[in-house]
Amino acid sequence: MSSASLALPLPTIPAWRRGLRRSLGHRGLVIGSVILALIALAALFAPWLSPHDPYAQEVTQRLIPPAWYAKGSWEHLLGTDKLGRDYLSRLLYGARVSLFIGLATALISGLIGTTMGVLAGYYGGRVDAVVSYIVTTRLALPVVLVALATAALVGGSLKVVIVLLGLLLWDRFAIVTRSATQQLRDAEFIAAAKALGASTPYILLRELLPNLMSALTVVATLEMAHAILLEATLSFLGLGVQPPTPSWGLMVAEGKAYMFFQPWVIVIPGVVLAVLVLGINLVGDGLRDVTAPDGRN
Amino acid sequence: MLSYVFRRLLVGFSVMLTVAIVSFMLLHLSGDLATAIAGPESSAADVEKVRVQYGLDRPMAAQFADWLGAAVRLDFGRSFYFQNTVMELVGERLPVTLKLGGVALLLAVIVAIPLGVLAAIYRDSWVDRLSLLVAVVGQAMPNFWFALSLILVFAVGLKWLPVAGNTSWQHFILPAIALGYYAMPSLMRLTRAGMLDVLGSDYIRTARAKGLSPARVVFKHALRNAIIPVMALAAVELGFMLGGSVVIESVYSLQGLGQLAWDSISRNDYPVVQAVVLIIAVFYIGLTFVADVLNAALDPRMRTR
Amino acid sequence: MNMPDDSLLLDVKNLRVDLPTERGLLHAVRGIDFQVRRGEMLCLVGESGCGKSMTSLALMGLLPRKAQRSAEHIRFDGTDLHRLPEREMNALRGARIAMIFQEPMTSLNPSYTLGDQLCEALQAHRKVSASQARERAVYLLERAGVPQAADRLRQYPHQLSGGLRQRVMIAMALMCGPDLIIADEPTTALDVTIQAQILRLIRELQREFGTAVVFITHDLGVVARIADRVAVMYAGEIVETAPVAELFARPSHPYTRGLLSCIPVRGKTLPGSRLQAIPGVVPSLIGPVSGCAFANRCTEVREACTQTPPQVWVDAQHAVRCVAAQPSHLFSEAAA
Repeated sequence: MSSASLALPLPTIPAWRRGLRRSLGHRGLVIGSVILALIALAALFAPWLSPHDPYAQEVTQRLIPPAWYAKGSWEHLLGTDKLGRDYLSRLLYGARVSLFIGLATALISGLIGTTMGVLAGYYGGRVDAVVSYIVTTRLALPVVLVALATAALVGGSLKVVIVLLGLLLWDRFAIVTRSATQQLRDAEFIAAAKALGASTPYILLRELLPNLMSALTVVATLEMAHAILLEATLSFLGLGVQPPTPSWGLMVAEGKAYMFFQPWVIVIPGVVLAVLVLGINLVGDGLRDVTAPDGRN
Repeated sequence: MLSYVFRRLLVGFSVMLTVAIVSFMLLHLSGDLATAIAGPESSAADVEKVRVQYGLDRPMAAQFADWLGAAVRLDFGRSFYFQNTVMELVGERLPVTLKLGGVALLLAVIVAIPLGVLAAIYRDSWVDRLSLLVAVVGQAMPNFWFALSLILVFAVGLKWLPVAGNTSWQHFILPAIALGYYAMPSLMRLTRAGMLDVLGSDYIRTARAKGLSPARVVFKHALRNAIIPVMALAAVELGFMLGGSVVIESVYSLQGLGQLAWDSISRNDYPVVQAVVLIIAVFYIGLTFVADVLNAALDPRMRTR
Repeated sequence: MNMPDDSLLLDVKNLRVDLPTERGLLHAVRGIDFQVRRGEMLCLVGESGCGKSMTSLALMGLLPRKAQRSAEHIRFDGTDLHRLPEREMNALRGARIAMIFQEPMTSLNPSYTLGDQLCEALQAHRKVSASQARERAVYLLERAGVPQAADRLRQYPHQLSGGLRQRVMIAMALMCGPDLIIADEPTTALDVTIQAQILRLIRELQREFGTAVVFITHDLGVVARIADRVAVMYAGEIVETAPVAELFARPSHPYTRGLLSCIPVRGKTLPGSRLQAIPGVVPSLIGPVSGCAFANRCTEVREACTQTPPQVWVDAQHAVRCVAAQPSHLFSEAAA
């Protein structure tokens, strides 16, 4: 007899399913993931996808334009560089370099930053003051200059870049994990664990850390993009990855002398760099939107 | 309010000191400076001569104390490469970098704020989506590549602007765009977020209920309250720009502070490098201080007592 | 049919407000009719969520962007507000129809002086000089009971208490001498002692300036104190309309009766006796709603309640939406 609709009990959907559904609905996240997946696959299967050896120099085939130009050929789809190396192959192998550096740096800086942030957030007081001070100091350092100066002294190389950037890019990890830990520090499940006699390392690793994962992945993606851009900048200036290793930044540097007449030598690596970073940023932003508490969107 | 300002100043100074220590140690510990100065060709005897000549055989702390003592008086010693003192070199180049940074920030702000306001007012419309797209693409492009592309398009292709040098104001346009574009997305997003926040507040509803024109509601009432965090961020971004000017100045041959730093790094001219790192850090600390004070002034508890 | 036309200031017919939500379309206001005469105080009373705030926003044209408003007409002094272009509506807002909100603490811009915000209310609509605007502001602040009115112009909102701020809001609403003021629970957020003062103030000013007021509240005590006429709202509908004395003397809708029985009455309610509560909950207004919304809680529910209840005239000025009501043999009307 009553008019208004009755409240029916809704079937509960598991949390991961809901998360997946929301992720699939987020356009940016989907596009970014597709881009990342494609580049990752290209990097993974580079040896099989590359038509040529990226290190093979062919002096007679220097600076051939990409296939769609008049003087191009299908032999070298994206042309060749100043030493006659196939551009497409170098691009594919360059993806490996960029992704590897991005992941490794994010890992190192993530470890450093998370440790600092969690300790600062959990213990507060002096520990927090010290960590905050270190973070402020690190933020005051002009990263590019310091990285350049150090790389100049030690000598640039892939390993140096990774270690250097790993030691420099941990600040956002520290800041985010610190505030997240502060918020969770007084939560009931932490108190419950303590009441059960759990040791501090246990609490931090098994109780606290899993709850920080969503924030961490967002920061990790953003720092990965940051690292990739910085490596490209360092390599561009000659203090990053050293030739003949293909790095997209290095390829732009190598092409700079010829850019006025053969613009593709700098346009192509720049575009793929931008696309990769775009993909990573879209994924990071998308993850942040999807994991944010409802009501904020 | 005053106590807050004082505390921030104190922190700022100690951070400056720490930065000085860090950059000093970085240079002196990451390699043998004497060898680097003397050059790879030199013999062991030469290296030793260099070591004594530049006082590199003395204890680290003493070297640092000396350097710091002089630095406070703005005496950073003499360049290894040029005949001039470091301060002279810095004095020549600093105005160029400051001009570049200023124009870059201005351009970024001129684009970011109106875009952010429009995106907030017409939320979820094509304007909003377009501005978010521009923001996300802008932050993906590496600045050195963007700088080169600008040259290709505007200086070479269209021949509208000069390629390199710093004599006329036209020389600053492309570098300013290349330096400023990276700050634009974050400024725009903050403006948009701030406006959305403010536009939902009660006093905006009151303003609308009074029958004020939409323009007045947005500009007089909403923007005034939303803009302060954006100004604070702008100050911080300027600090980043000063630090990141290295690449842009090299590409455009602007002979600014960044290029000086880069050239000095290549030439192992360490007094200059140390000085530039510290100076840029000082600017950054000063700008973040300004930003913090701006944000604190926003808090009504701090105002008219 | 029941009001002489020339004194009719506001005539609302079949006003609806729908809000799209995640779970479906929320019918916040489901076809209400009411009228306000010049100089009259109409109290719109109902519990939280019954749609009274939405009604006030709908009248002013200040609904959130996603909301959908529809009406047969919203006639304000002859002009149909529902079909008025935004620019002309904006000209009316603040000038002829003003609004006072619930939260005095957040309803004023913290970055501008009170004088600035008061004068702007007038100067947006009339060509007056700054000093003329200030004169009027001081005059109204004094009438609103704000001490040291002239000094206040230079002060900022955070320097005033909630009660004072609400007085400023009242003065601000009167700056252009509006014909109608919509007050959305203006005293709810204030201390009890201040509440009484503000109520008295609104009543006095209304009488003095001859302004009509639509006063929204959930408190029947307030209604008893200041209303000329009352409209009772429930679940997006107006279920009963009557002059105030009539409503308290002969409540005809089961919901109104239920509300009145919840309140202890001095002299009548015996100490120690249980206060009544209306059993059940307000039904969800998402998705189609048919029949009487009060049916699931009504003591007099019957078969006919599955249909939309008709408007029944119990008396000349007293209308009820209920099949159980006894129509006056002189004024019965067919279903709306």
